[in-house]
Amino acid sequence: MSTLDRIKNVAAELLKIEASRVKEESRFVEDLGADSMQSIELVAAFEEEFDIEMDEDAALGVKTVGDAVSFIDKVIAEG
Amino acid sequence: MDIVQKFIQNAQSNPARLVYPEAKDPRILEAAVKVYEQGIAQPILVGVPEDIAALAAEMGLSLEGIETVDSKTDPRLDTYAMAYAKKRDLREAIAKKLVRKPLSFGGMMVSEGAAEGMVAGVATATSIVIQTATLTVGFQEGLSTPSSFFIMIIPDFQGESDKVFIFADSAVNIQPNAQQLAEIAIASGTNAKALLGIDPKIAFLSFSTRGSAGHADADKVIEALTIAREINPEFDMDGELQLDAAIVAKVAAKKVTESSVAGQANVLIFPDLDAGNIGYKLVQYMANAKAIGPILQGFAKPVNDMSRGASVEDLIAVSAITSVQAKG
Repeated sequence: MSTLDRIKNVAAELLKIEASRVKEESRFVEDLGADSMQSIELVAAFEEEFDIEMDEDAALGVKTVGDAVSFIDKVIAEG
Repeated sequence: MDIVQKFIQNAQSNPARLVYPEAKDPRILEAAVKVYEQGIAQPILVGVPEDIAALAAEMGLSLEGIETVDSKTDPRLDTYAMAYAKKRDLREAIAKKLVRKPLSFGGMMVSEGAAEGMVAGVATATSIVIQTATLTVGFQEGLSTPSSFFIMIIPDFQGESDKVFIFADSAVNIQPNAQQLAEIAIASGTNAKALLGIDPKIAFLSFSTRGSAGHADADKVIEALTIAREINPEFDMDGELQLDAAIVAKVAAKKVTESSVAGQANVLIFPDLDAGNIGYKLVQYMANAKAIGPILQGFAKPVNDMSRGASVEDLIAVSAITSVQAKG
């Protein structure tokens, strides 16, 4: 499964919404309804899904699903 | 006596177990050692024990008697993850990733009773400290709003020297609604009592006194007072009051009838962050007042946020305050 699809599934699970609602251009807060506390949990959920650790400050700056894909791909590439 | 010195003495008489999740920072190590040596609190450091030991050695500090915990390998990790997952209704594997982070682990230690308070923020944004505390420690009964207050010490107030006031909320809630404003007042009253030992007289401030202006902003303040009285009918509260009617007896006598607060308020609740933040800075710089804070409030157990520029002395003072809050 692509990074994008995995991110869509994780976001849908954590935010308790239909996966079909999550698009590449969706903004986590404005479009998907993530509150500030869910944002912190989303970071942990992505870390769990991809078995990585992210800088929390930087990760919380990510606004859209598409940006999350490039952010996470970069973290994975940097190993 | 200096008020910080008073907090230190109070803390020393009954030191709390405080967790510091940013043990990688040299200021935290130095402060923790001093806090321990002076008996202000029993510090618990969260971090990689080998790294902490190496940093301490480099700084020439002895960590003897200070507990260090590794949030990534601690045996309590599974229990904490389970408790978190249940509270927030999410998968345990996700919860485990979250509570492995030092700040969340510290919060869970407080929530699960392994620590009585937390001091964080020297290396973390305030918003993350507040949100993590909300997620892990949760709120005081009846409250659902994290907020903050300043202790203001006015050198010369109407002929009285070193008069102490509490100002809230001057740092966290930008545009509190009536419910939030009520909660800020209740939390502030509770802290005035627990931390300063003063009998709180809480004024809900406005540009209007008892309906004089007839504006929606004043109505919000009136509604907040009603809600606050429902949450805690015991507290002495009044509003809406202009600042002078709240703190100057002569003005109160002219503008307000039948009030046990007007003219003698010592806990000032500002209607929004514009007023609260500008207000405390005005008094700090124009009246040469000492401002201690922001101190966080509203959580089930005390969590305090430090600025990134905090000094070791600041950390010791806030540790003493957190210790007193925890035991208060």
